[in-house]
Amino acid sequence: MSEAVRLFALQIALIAVVLVLHTYLGLHIIRRTLIFSDLVLDQLAAFGALVGVGLGIAYASPCSYLFAFAAVLIGAFLLAVIKPRNPAIPREAVIGILYAMALVLSLLWTDKLPGGNAYVEKTLSGYLLWVTWPLVRVTIFTYVVLIVFHYVLRHRFIALAERPGEIRHEHVWDFLFFTTQGIITVLIVPIAGVLLAYSFLMIPAAIATMFTKKWGLAVLLGWALGFLACLLGLASSYQWDLPYGPTLVLFMGLFFVGAIVLRAVLRARRTSAIERSQSCPTS
Amino acid sequence: MSDLVAMLGLPFLACILMGSILSYLGIHVLKREVIFIDIAVAQVAAVGALAAHLAFDVEDGSLLSYLFSLACVFAMAGFYSVVRHKVVEISIEAIIGISYAITAAGALFLIGIAPGHAHAEEMLAGSLLWVTWPQILVGLVVFAAVGFVLWLVRRPISAVSQDYAAAAAGGLNVAWWDFLFYALLGVVITVAVRLSGVVTVFALLIIPATTSALLATGWLSRLLLAWLTVVMASTTGLLFSYYLDFSMGPVIALCLGTLLAVVAVFARLRQKAVVRQA
Repeated sequence: MSEAVRLFALQIALIAVVLVLHTYLGLHIIRRTLIFSDLVLDQLAAFGALVGVGLGIAYASPCSYLFAFAAVLIGAFLLAVIKPRNPAIPREAVIGILYAMALVLSLLWTDKLPGGNAYVEKTLSGYLLWVTWPLVRVTIFTYVVLIVFHYVLRHRFIALAERPGEIRHEHVWDFLFFTTQGIITVLIVPIAGVLLAYSFLMIPAAIATMFTKKWGLAVLLGWALGFLACLLGLASSYQWDLPYGPTLVLFMGLFFVGAIVLRAVLRARRTSAIERSQSCPTS
Repeated sequence: MSDLVAMLGLPFLACILMGSILSYLGIHVLKREVIFIDIAVAQVAAVGALAAHLAFDVEDGSLLSYLFSLACVFAMAGFYSVVRHKVVEISIEAIIGISYAITAAGALFLIGIAPGHAHAEEMLAGSLLWVTWPQILVGLVVFAAVGFVLWLVRRPISAVSQDYAAAAAGGLNVAWWDFLFYALLGVVITVAVRLSGVVTVFALLIIPATTSALLATGWLSRLLLAWLTVVMASTTGLLFSYYLDFSMGPVIALCLGTLLAVVAVFARLRQKAVVRQA
């Protein structure tokens, strides 16, 4: 098997595994309107790595990963415990402010760092060049463990989305949910970059949400459509030598826009069918 | 002292100018739960500027670059208003999040074709220190015009922000008022981001509105409290950045965040005291 085919096969396998967990977590995020929680954790992971750089730890080294993970755990804790009681303040506002603070701290920290601007740009665009195959294997293994964890405890996590305020120790389950999101952030962002990781999480889940409320069916539908879009994106990226990450995001985006149009058409048809049946009642 | 005024005078004016309109828009943004609209709109405007650079080789900040940015922002405003009206199964914030990812991927494509144009760190942190009088005047004219239009249409726009379904049931053309709101917000964000960067604009949009929600409920009292927050955070932020030599925009955002944290603790203690008394 040639190196190019091996690489292609590995990428497809990685996407297939990653999309299962991302679609499932994405469904939670969309149903609970925690849309930008991922961006908070991304930014905190970047901040952790930047703090490491300031303390003399090489960027993207194993120790740098530990710093990123520690920052992400703090983020997961804050996301779980800060829940505004005031109805005028949506939870997404807290997420937005945490994101702004994480970004501001990163910018101020790098203000005094030699070559700091370059590091900020690096954390934004991802650091694909440092990715090694052992890292990919660790990523797949961790994803499989997390999928099993979420499958076993699915009733608890689904209750968080469907019956908020009714389950015991809600903060703990919330913390575990955001920690899962944090772990996958720390692992997948170096491989895929922030944008592609965010798109894996949001787009397949958003497409599925438009057509079904059932969790199992939504995961299956989101995974299948997301995988098809990624497969087409990956093939186009190889065929026409297009940038890998943006091409995959744009293909998923195309599917998303198609789903919106289909949803709007179906809704218009149903509305007109109801109107017709009301205006001409059967005898 | 004169050094201090010479250096911080224009940035302070810029903050007050932006904060005045952004904190009002922020109250609407919070009510509509479209928190990340600023980041999505800034990204779309950046795609417009990149497209203008590619097509006509114009510099960032030129009139043509602005026009391209605004065209993209209006297209996005139309998209949001139509989708919110036609697709009810998914929240508009999710649509905003995904549109941000897609437009950012589009920008990466364009940056690939025109390398060296975009400078992510500058776009985020901004360059408030180098604000000029002409930029302040452009901001003043644009924000005053948008503010005047917002005042004229305050009733329908507030009705849609307060309760979308009720406004639609009441016979309002919600898609049109939604479009107008997102278009006006888009114009303000496009101009403001070029003055001070995405982070400061995002902070000025969300944090004063959130701080005011902790202390008041009426529109006018919330607006006055939000303006007070802007003045306090801008003053302390600019002084900190002057004496400690940090970038202005991020320090102001940090001061806004700190002020919010203090007010949140105060509001919580006040609430507990009220409960105890009852």
